[in-house]
Amino acid sequence: MNDRELENLFARLDDAPNVDAKERALTAALQAFDAVQHEKNSANASQGFAAASRLTSERPSFGRKIMQRLTTRNSTQRWLYSGMASAAVLVLGVFVALQLPQYSGVEVPTEVASVVRMTDLAVPAERRIDTMVRGVGSDAVREKKAEIAENASVAQLSADESEVDMPAAVAAAAAPAALQRSFALEQGIVFANRLGGIAADAIAPPGYQDVGRDKFETAAANPIKRTSEEPVSTFSIDVDTASYSFARRQLNAGALPQKAAVRLEEMVNYFPYDYPLPPDTSQPFSTNVTVLDSPWKAGNKLVHIGIQGYEVTGAQPRANIVFLLDVSGSMDSPDKLPLVKQSVSLLLDRLQPQDTVAIVVYAGAAGTVLEPTQVKDKQKILAALNRLQAGGATAGGKGIQLAYQLAESQFIEDGVNRIVLATDGDFNVGIYDTEELKGFVERKRESGVFLSVLGFGQGNYHDALMQTLAQNGNGVAAYIDTLGEAQKVLVDEATSALFPIAKDVKIQVEFNPATVSEYRLLGYETRMLAEEDFNSDTVDAGDIGAGHSVTAIYEITPAGSDSGAFAGSRYAEAPVSAGKSDEYGYLKLRYKLPQESKSRLISQPIGMHTQATPDMLREAQFATAVAGFAQLLEGGKYLAGWGFADALELAQANRGDDPYGYRAEFIQLIRKAQVAGAM
Amino acid sequence: MTQDLQETIRRAQRGDRDAFSLLVEQHYAAMFSFACRYCGDRQDAQDVTQQACIKLARAIEQFRFESAFSTWLYRLVINCARDWHKAQRSRGCGERGGELDDVPTHDNAESAVMLRQVIALVERMGEGFRESLVLVLGEGLTHAEAAAILEVKESTVSWRLHEIRKRLNAGLNAELQPGVGV
Repeated sequence: MNDRELENLFARLDDAPNVDAKERALTAALQAFDAVQHEKNSANASQGFAAASRLTSERPSFGRKIMQRLTTRNSTQRWLYSGMASAAVLVLGVFVALQLPQYSGVEVPTEVASVVRMTDLAVPAERRIDTMVRGVGSDAVREKKAEIAENASVAQLSADESEVDMPAAVAAAAAPAALQRSFALEQGIVFANRLGGIAADAIAPPGYQDVGRDKFETAAANPIKRTSEEPVSTFSIDVDTASYSFARRQLNAGALPQKAAVRLEEMVNYFPYDYPLPPDTSQPFSTNVTVLDSPWKAGNKLVHIGIQGYEVTGAQPRANIVFLLDVSGSMDSPDKLPLVKQSVSLLLDRLQPQDTVAIVVYAGAAGTVLEPTQVKDKQKILAALNRLQAGGATAGGKGIQLAYQLAESQFIEDGVNRIVLATDGDFNVGIYDTEELKGFVERKRESGVFLSVLGFGQGNYHDALMQTLAQNGNGVAAYIDTLGEAQKVLVDEATSALFPIAKDVKIQVEFNPATVSEYRLLGYETRMLAEEDFNSDTVDAGDIGAGHSVTAIYEITPAGSDSGAFAGSRYAEAPVSAGKSDEYGYLKLRYKLPQESKSRLISQPIGMHTQATPDMLREAQFATAVAGFAQLLEGGKYLAGWGFADALELAQANRGDDPYGYRAEFIQLIRKAQVAGAM
Repeated sequence: MTQDLQETIRRAQRGDRDAFSLLVEQHYAAMFSFACRYCGDRQDAQDVTQQACIKLARAIEQFRFESAFSTWLYRLVINCARDWHKAQRSRGCGERGGELDDVPTHDNAESAVMLRQVIALVERMGEGFRESLVLVLGEGLTHAEAAAILEVKESTVSWRLHEIRKRLNAGLNAELQPGVGV
């Protein structure tokens, strides 16, 4: 085949455009063009969002048809439409006046009307009415909006045609109707402006609010196990607190939280406990074991394992923090983006002047809002923060990659390198697949950049995903529902959220079959590990931050007690005592220091007759109350009639010092659950 | 570039709807014709051209008058066509094979099938070959013009065409019989 033949092939191709197809393409292109222009006018330049290209329609819009009809210079029709325009604006005026009686007597500034060129009026009017409608957010007005906007453009058209370029007073002589129209429009603008102002001051921005799309993953409560069959129990610690604040939010709203939202260990670990600090830093934390009677089942015992990390003393390690903030439209709610801004500025107070902070946002597109900046330039950081606005489309950007890039560019050896992701659940951060996202975060963890997740808002909260990310990113998942919670997580407990003192902390308990017949771990369902994982240094587990306390509770049935769930076996031989008959079991704990990859081991026996100090007993009792409450919220399968009233009594009796009032709040919460449960 | 065209583009860049509309009107035929030769299929070409028109709405602002408008438009259409085929492939449907639209004459149908086979073959030679072929033999541009559009050296285009000729002449005529799927 030679060139000539090829050319012929091309030449013989039928390439005459199809008229319909051309028309369709033109319509689509014009729509895109309009969208681009609109976007240019309204886009928030500092965030640079790109709207997705619009769907193409084969038919011109209704608005265009009207415009075409009007240009046919049919004067009757024109007057009809312009009449409609003034009428519609008047209707709006009356509506507004009725809504806001104090402004019913608005005077029309005639001098303004006479100066403003009529041709200029229609467009601003249209835009302002639009703004106003958004500000008010009432459906009725929203319906009116389309009509008014259309009519406003019609009015513009007729104004264009009459070519009024002179003061309105002169125009009045020539075209009374036009003048009337101009007043009507002017009035509309005045109302719209006033209303806009008022709406901004008084009415909370309505914002888009998802309802009922919170996602949780159900994990069945850990079952009771026979010590003779499975004497060893292994799990990873969990320092998240998201579940408690989410449940609190629901309860404050008068509803019981969904069962899947309750994670016992997160509720128990929400509270700081007064465990003794480790004597020295050679071992990053102290382990405290307390055995007490089970309040809900006579004969059973509860084994409390309390871990207390040391507090950072002396110089705080240097920090390099990148905030990855969700600014999608759904964040436009008082309990979301504004709270995020407040939370971030709270955290700034806890950082040192030479620490760096950067801000990356994602929504329609990802963008760096603030390059890494030292905290001493606080004004600059706050200014960048305050510029943020919720808005933008759905398509994701490269948010998370960008955040990691920034964090890596400022990497501090021996310091804290952390990304703090704040979102209401929309994870369009650039990687869509959950597994891929998980893998990405996990790989990045190896590079030393950790990820913490702060959840905000309600209605579209993807709990499971946030847990997964924080777990894989060696970070904390916290749910922030109020400024008070932000204060707790980011100020009072900032050191534990930011500065890890031990990582991959795993707990393994081996129960003694001679003294314990059955046991059950309360909570930690999502953190269970296989027995062999305990000694494997490649298996990831939870981390402990400076000053963190972690509590785990086992419910055990001592051998010989008839409080067990299982009936005795006819054939199995009675376990032979191995000579350690005064031990319930043996506690082993593995951890790695933050910079190390080899784990260290702590172990101690769980004695049957060890006497706990009154302080320890009080703390353990309070933890029990919380654990009981969590089980009640989950359905109370193992509680045998123990109820909210009992939890209330137990919590009240063991409130202790409670310097921050968290326990007092918990007691209120039990009362609320009582009420909500009765409904 | 004529003064008129330049003025129309500038107006469209400032947001003049009519100017933009005129621009699309004037260039649709050329874009479509090129898309036809690139895709070898009218239906695909219509879709690609429509995409290109939509893309033009956003991209027009970025036209800096540094090259001829037609050169710039060729690039736009090529990019749209590449995206289009990528999307088609990821959706699992390959390029359209046998079926034809617009009921062409028998003679045309044969040459259209033939052309698609040639294109498919050239496409597999690597990136840039298909574009070079269509621009030079399809559109009748010089090697230099094609090189400007593809932003490569003129010698690269010449070499690509040489390779294409070699490939097509290397006893492949037998394979390229009408109706034989490639």
